[in-house]
Amino acid sequence: MPQLIGSQQPRADATEKVRGSALYTADVRLDNALHALVLRSPHPMAKIRSIDTGKAAALPGVAAIVYSGNVPDKFLDFGIKDQQLFPTTYVRYMGEPVAAIAAETQAQARAAADAIQIVYEPLQSVLNVDEALADNAPLVHPDWQTYKKSESRVLRGNLCGHNHIRQGDVDAALARSDVVVESSFEFSSGIPGYIEPRAAVARREPNGGLTVWCGSQNPYGNREELADFFDLPVENVRFINQYVGGAFGGKILMAAEWYAAALALRCDRPVRLVWSRHEDGLNVFPRHGGKAVFRSGAAADGTLLAMRASFVFDTGAYIGYGAGTALIATMIAAAPYRIPNTDLQARLVYTNKQVAGSVRAPGGPQATFAKEMHIDEIAHALGMDPLELRLKNVWRDGDSSPTGQVLSSVSARETLERAARAIGWGKPLEKNQGRGLSCSWWFSSCGRSEAKVSVQRDGSVDVESGNPEVGTGSAAGGLPILVAQALGVKLSDIRLTLADTATNTYDGGVGGSASTFSAGQAVEAAALDVRRQLLEQAEHTLEARSEDIELRDGRAVVRGAPDHSVTLGELAGAAGGSIAGSGQAREFSDPEFDAELVQSHDFPSWMAPSFTTTAAVVEVDPETGRVRVTKMATAQDVGFAINPTGVIGQIEGGAVQGLGYALSEELEFDRGGIVNTGLGDYLLPTAVDAPPIESIVVESPSQEGPHGIKGVGEPPVTTPAGAIGNAIRAAVGAAPHTVPMTPERVWRALREISAH
Amino acid sequence: MMQPLRLSVNGRAHQLLVDPVASLLSVLRDDLQLWGTKEGCGTGYCGACTVLVDGDPVNACLLFAVDADQREVTTIEGLAPEKEDLHPLQAAFVARSGLQCGYCTPGVIMSAAALLAENPAPSSDDVRRGLAGNICRCTGYQSIVESVLDAAEQLRKQGRAGETPGRRGRIRSRA
Repeated sequence: MPQLIGSQQPRADATEKVRGSALYTADVRLDNALHALVLRSPHPMAKIRSIDTGKAAALPGVAAIVYSGNVPDKFLDFGIKDQQLFPTTYVRYMGEPVAAIAAETQAQARAAADAIQIVYEPLQSVLNVDEALADNAPLVHPDWQTYKKSESRVLRGNLCGHNHIRQGDVDAALARSDVVVESSFEFSSGIPGYIEPRAAVARREPNGGLTVWCGSQNPYGNREELADFFDLPVENVRFINQYVGGAFGGKILMAAEWYAAALALRCDRPVRLVWSRHEDGLNVFPRHGGKAVFRSGAAADGTLLAMRASFVFDTGAYIGYGAGTALIATMIAAAPYRIPNTDLQARLVYTNKQVAGSVRAPGGPQATFAKEMHIDEIAHALGMDPLELRLKNVWRDGDSSPTGQVLSSVSARETLERAARAIGWGKPLEKNQGRGLSCSWWFSSCGRSEAKVSVQRDGSVDVESGNPEVGTGSAAGGLPILVAQALGVKLSDIRLTLADTATNTYDGGVGGSASTFSAGQAVEAAALDVRRQLLEQAEHTLEARSEDIELRDGRAVVRGAPDHSVTLGELAGAAGGSIAGSGQAREFSDPEFDAELVQSHDFPSWMAPSFTTTAAVVEVDPETGRVRVTKMATAQDVGFAINPTGVIGQIEGGAVQGLGYALSEELEFDRGGIVNTGLGDYLLPTAVDAPPIESIVVESPSQEGPHGIKGVGEPPVTTPAGAIGNAIRAAVGAAPHTVPMTPERVWRALREISAH
Repeated sequence: MMQPLRLSVNGRAHQLLVDPVASLLSVLRDDLQLWGTKEGCGTGYCGACTVLVDGDPVNACLLFAVDADQREVTTIEGLAPEKEDLHPLQAAFVARSGLQCGYCTPGVIMSAAALLAENPAPSSDDVRRGLAGNICRCTGYQSIVESVLDAAEQLRKQGRAGETPGRRGRIRSRA
């Protein structure tokens, strides 16, 4: 049997997807469904004086209206209890949902929305991190002192997060440094960029429970949250996940699901809510904008001695899943370099904008862009080659992170060397062309996950995992291989079902580059359980000892006696029709770290960390500031590639998302409102913007991961912006310190150096 | 007031009464239940709703359905009717993993089909330009470009270069 694991294989869902027969949430059609609409705040900050739905409710076709007056008076719990489903006292961002309507037609729902009478008292708003931190700043949450929060969280006025990592004596080390470099950076916020807008269909069931059809990264978690909020027994709530048209962290938390469900509980018909692209843009859980200042010192020989870094991130009106960005930023700020004296902090602030979220690698692109641009600036100050400076200081096995975690399987050097080589580092280039590098690290994680695998009488194999297939291929590209390898069957014999909380097994969802780590382990354990049972059954049938039996080509075969065999289907038949096994992911404890070095930090050590370097070649037009990326190479340590096709897909996709972050993607605001919710003026990269990408799969196995894997999905989006920025500087002598590095910003950066 | 519409979709004639402001996309999805064509933005920027109208790629979200009157529409479902083999483009996207979430895929494949009908031997830059109206957020486009180039080669080998999908053997005519 050829080794399946580690070979390039197509995805289990590819045929359905190329035929157009794969169904997504907006394709779910239930008879007699009502149309829903969300009414949103027109103000970035206002006091709600009154809400009157009476007139609207009496309009023709209106089935239900939900708002703060008729949903549970509770706060959602994301570490700080600062958010209600619909706000009662204040609206805190333009576009915040204040009510939702279900009606016979979309037009009737619209008419009802227009007839809801809300009296607002507009208040002064806070629209960026400087305004949020200013003395006597208006408060996004005037009642913040009454909020409940978990102990590790920081909350003080507009400040809703503040973590710190400190080691050594930075001031003393800076004083004895031969060069000291200071750089400051700004980050725009951006959308996850999935192409399928949010949608949900919900139906109240005869037992009072709810069924929700959705496209979520986390249907099991969402289900618990929804049941808890509406005081429903969790077993009476069912989430049926569909194919998901991209997610990138934007579909972890519920959005349309909340409003469809709240309405469905008051209707005796299903409720369908499909957001337009514009509405989706108002509720998209964007990547955090913010700023950073770095100040570092080095000895003349290039030894890094000290770094002080400080970030502020704009998390919007509510905490949601925004806290991770600030925690991750400080973990990245000085990595992967040996710097004995570090002082790294990040603050998170409320503003009157929509809730920022966990977009693919939260905090990663921001912190890596700033840190890697800063490292190049240190190299320039030293007159040293940027690759040489990195190689001189990069971590090795046995080094410690800034929080005192002792590191192993450190492949940073290999990723640097291989990515640099791939773009011809050091070779001459034409005028206005340049090369840049950017190196970083990331974590693996493992959530709770359970799986069932069963062999049927016809020899087919069912794989049940609650891991949602959001496009990454973690389910469709990875899980079947693990099962096929364990049972000796063909990939085409395997049926993979989509997540459904009523019929499938629990999974903690897609996020934190965890899917293959957790669902992969669970599914493989279940497959090995089936394997053991198949061998037991085969011992009886073949009258041989199990150690003499191998499973291959869908059969149990006695070694050395190929004619002496039985099909797996026959074994299942002999066992009563099917043979089923179950498995679950192991629990891992976090690696050790030095608690003395951290403050208010919930994520101070990283399990099975990986290392990634992106190298880019650019061409800059100094007249217009336009940047063309002509080549990118990303060398990523994935531990082990179960399906290299899937891994390369993540690297290539991450490279182009990172390119968009670097050059074009930016949510623009005007007096608190987003100007560019549409895809005509929010510029996602197209096929002509994307360069050829070389994916270099580095395999430095982890201790923890199944087959040595490390998390794969997030790292490749973290490194491109720094590589592109450094390449721009190499090409023309200056680069913007703000992402995205738009033509205007590049042009201004060039003007600044030519003025000196 | 509803308006009569006659159109052929994937070789099948339809007579419908439609809202004069209904898009071709909504008629395909809501009236004809052809859900393979997706809505990503509704404003003609993402290309997820790309279908062929008389062989030309159009954003179905931008075309009034009544403007497709008397025309031949080909959607992803018509590229390789059920149970037939996959179209070489579809087969190449499977083999090369030119897709991830799959939401943009029907539109990408229809644009690629139109491109190959016009240019049976494109360069990779030609493919990138031909797909510039289709946004894919997952793949970074490289595997898409490789898929299209593979399919082009396959179509040439099969003697099907320049074929307009969904119109095999039919005479191309504009009403």
